[in-house]
Amino acid sequence: MAREQRRDRPSYRKYFPPKRKVCRFCERNIRDIDYKKVDILRRYSSERGKITPRRVTGTCAYHQRKLGVAIKRARLLALLPYIQD
Amino acid sequence: MRLYETTFLIDPTLPEEEAEQLIEKMAGIVTEKKGKMINVDKWGKRRLAYPIKKFEDAVYVFFLYKGDVDIPTELERNFKQTESVIRYLTIKMEERENIRRLKKGASRAVEAPPSAPRAKEKAEEETVVEEKPVKTPSEETPGIETAAEGKQKEKKEEEKPVEIPSEKTPKIEAAAEEKQEEKKEEEKIEKEKLEGKKKEEEKQEKKNEEVKTQAKKKDTETKDAALKKKREDTETKKNEVVQEKEETAVKKEKEK
Repeated sequence: MAREQRRDRPSYRKYFPPKRKVCRFCERNIRDIDYKKVDILRRYSSERGKITPRRVTGTCAYHQRKLGVAIKRARLLALLPYIQD
Repeated sequence: MRLYETTFLIDPTLPEEEAEQLIEKMAGIVTEKKGKMINVDKWGKRRLAYPIKKFEDAVYVFFLYKGDVDIPTELERNFKQTESVIRYLTIKMEERENIRRLKKGASRAVEAPPSAPRAKEKAEEETVVEEKPVKTPSEETPGIETAAEGKQKEKKEEEKPVEIPSEKTPKIEAAAEEKQEEKKEEEKIEKEKLEGKKKEEEKQEKKNEEVKTQAKKKDTETKDAALKKKREDTETKKNEVVQEKEETAVKKEKEK
């Protein structure tokens, strides 16, 4: 409904509907995320070593859960940093 | 029997031979406990993301094995005892889900024909559900549109009667213009008549004068002049008659 309301708004305020993000893991049909693949995990962590939120990356809930676990495991093994500054 | 993955980091200062011995020892524990070693992955020396026990580097070793629960516990006990192992992590690989997924895939393969129409039905239901909220505004909006259209129609209807008199008025105006034109024509004709009369009178006067002058000179010529006058008068009369006829014709047209 919110979108419809936005559409109903006058055209002077141009509203561009957000581009639908698709989960990259779902696209490639990857079921499990390995904590050893640091290159992939690094893409989903910010410069400060934080796990990037779902709203930014567009990963689905299932894979975000998996990602979180994988990143935390990688952190424990010092593959990824807890904090990076 | 479950699938486990154990990772441990070895002190980088430890000589390679001793490290190899350590790895073999750990692998021996797995085999002793009737576990099946699937893969041993050695990454070698690798830089740590953060220092552990003041070590910047560490040797990474991964064990992937299948076995009972006592194997990881035994391994971890050994890791605790050995100081050269900086850190360790055992992970229970989720085999159960894989099985379920396989089952799902099998079921999908089997139930492909019935599942497809179901999916279609679902899709239809979804579409229906989506359409319902869409319809209500769409119905509302057409209502508004119809109202607007009705207003427009009304306007048109209003405009139409306005247009009709406007159409009439030009007719009237045209008629009036025609009348005016006719009047003008009449006036022109009258003017022409007057002018003609005047000219004729002037001519007649001139002629009369001439005739008088001539009559004084020659009486014979006066007769001719009189005849001429008569002729001219008759001609003028004829012209007037023609003009009158024309006027009557014009009037008849007007009446028509």
